[in-house]
Formats: sequence, structure tokens, C-alpha cells
Amino acid sequence: MGSVQYWLVNTLTNTEPVATFMRTAWGWPIIESIHFMGLTLLFGSIAAWDLRLLGLTKRVPIDAFHRLVPFAVLGFVINAASGSLFLLTEPDQYFYNPAFHFKLLFMMLAGLNVLVFYTTVFRRMDAFAVGDDVPVQAKFAGAASLCFWIAVIICGRLLTFYRPFPCEGDEARALFVRCLL
Amino acid sequence: MFDPFFLWLEATAFSTWMRESTSVFAFPIILALHTIGLAILVGLTAAFDLRLLGVAARIPLGEFRRYIPLMWLGLWVNVVTGLALLAAYPTKALTNPVFYLKLGLVGAALWLLRVLLDGVRDGATVTLPPTRSKRLAIASLVFWVGAITAGRLLAYTHSRLLASW
Repeated sequence: MGSVQYWLVNTLTNTEPVATFMRTAWGWPIIESIHFMGLTLLFGSIAAWDLRLLGLTKRVPIDAFHRLVPFAVLGFVINAASGSLFLLTEPDQYFYNPAFHFKLLFMMLAGLNVLVFYTTVFRRMDAFAVGDDVPVQAKFAGAASLCFWIAVIICGRLLTFYRPFPCEGDEARALFVRCLL
Repeated sequence: MFDPFFLWLEATAFSTWMRESTSVFAFPIILALHTIGLAILVGLTAAFDLRLLGVAARIPLGEFRRYIPLMWLGLWVNVVTGLALLAAYPTKALTNPVFYLKLGLVGAALWLLRVLLDGVRDGATVTLPPTRSKRLAIASLVFWVGAITAGRLLAYTHSRLLASW
């Protein structure tokens, strides 16, 4: 594992032209803002779908809500792309960061949940009846999705506080004070 | 001018705990919850705005009123966590014009959300003309994009961190 991280960090550090752009005054803040918009789009769209599975808006046919899922995928693509720019600039801040390991774990669990959902219970939901409850397995998938994405967001926001070199950079606020004082 | 107030606030036990506690449940988790509140409130609002713009057109507009309790939850989580973050670094936020820009954008976006939710009050009946609700939905998305960007920039644009420094 150690050598995998070492190889990743060595391979990805300062990938050009990404790193030059990210180190401009506006690079990092703008990509971070886009990353937050992506998370909002991803979470909002998938939450509306998950809440339909859980029965909140069950008067509406389920396939009407399924039209929101591509926007969750769009949010994910925006965040995979913007997130990659961070990794291509400062990989050591992520690959040696336990919060990042947990973030990846919850992303994989969320992905696995999607995979299992679409290959099993979703195939049996062909009736799409108005006002019907979905099978209990689909409700579990909806609840799991909400939990996993909330966990992904929390781990993402905690990255700052578990960075391997906390005294560098400008946003590790609690640590910032301790490092300077 | 407000330095005595900032100095007093920064010296309170809560403010000091927020800044100096090594517990993950101090600054880090409160910051993370601020993002969860954002995801719930703005995420569901964005889904509503997309619907107003014609996405998933078979969802009756009135159904989005079912998210109102969750939107309130997201809003209150962010009011409370926002005040806690403000208490930790009052000088940092309150001496930064970007912070007031953020508050203004959030206020405008919330007012628009209220107008749009009122417009779909009677189930599927829409009291706002479609072109107007589309324009307001675009404005809502623009305001939230601005508010999120301004919020993110708070980490980069402050001129002072603490009044005591």
C-alpha cells in the first residue's frame, strides 16, 4: 500500500498544465466553488430520487422522478473532473489523508449501491405504478444512497483537518492557529 | 471600530473552543454540517428550479412543496452552524465585504424560493406564468452559484483573521 501511494504521488505531482493553472490566484478557489456546485447538483437530484423511493412523493409515478437521475450523474462528472484537478496538483495531500481514504470508501459503497440497485430490484420495478410503494429492497437502496453521499460530503469537508502536512496552506483553520502559535 | 466587540467575542469560551479544540466535533464537524445543510437546502432547491425549467416535466410542481420541511431543516442547520463558525472567527468574516455579499445572495435566493414555492401552492395549479417562473428559476440558480462561490472565497479573501492579532 505504501508503495502504491508513493507511486501515485510521484506520478501525479505537479501534472502540467493543471498545476500551473491551479496555483494561480483564482485556480484553486474557482475549482473548489465548482466542486461545491457539483456536490449540490449531485446530492439534490439524487435526494429527490431517493426520497421518492422512500415514499415521500409517492403520488408521482416513479419514472417521472427518474428523469432527475441524469442530473445527479452530471453532478458526479463535474466533481470527478474538478476533484481530479486537486489530485493532479497536490496528490500527497490526499493519498496520505485518512479522510480521503474514507471518502473513497463511501464513494465506492455509493457506486456499489447503484450497481446492485440497477441490476436487481430496478429490473423488477417495471410496473412503475402511480402511488405504489416500491419494493423494500429499493427503499433500502434509497436510504443507503442518502447515507453514503452524506458521508462522502462529511469526509470531503474533513480533508483539510487530516492533511499530512497541516502547517502548510491557508485553510486548516483550527490547526492553522495551533501551528502558528 | 468594532474591535472591542470582536475581542470580547473571540475571548468567549465557545469561540475559543471552536478555534482551539482538537476535537473533530468542534470546528471540523460544524464546518462539515454547514456543507450538509447546503446540500439539502440548495440541492432540493436546484431540483425544483430544474423542474421549473422543464426537466422531469411530469412531476407536478406542487410536489416540491413536500420538500419544505427538509428545506427548513437545511436552512436551520446552516443558520446554527453558520453562527458557530462566525463566533469562531468574527473578525475574519465581518471585516470581509465578500461575507456581506454572501449573506445578500443567500437572502435574495431564499426570497425567490419563497415566491416560487408560493407560486405552486395549489397542487398542480401554477399561479406564476411559466415564462416568469422560468426566469425566476434561472435567477435562483444564479444567486445560489454566487452564494456558494462567495462562501468558498471567504477562505481566501479575508484581510484579518483575529482582532487580537
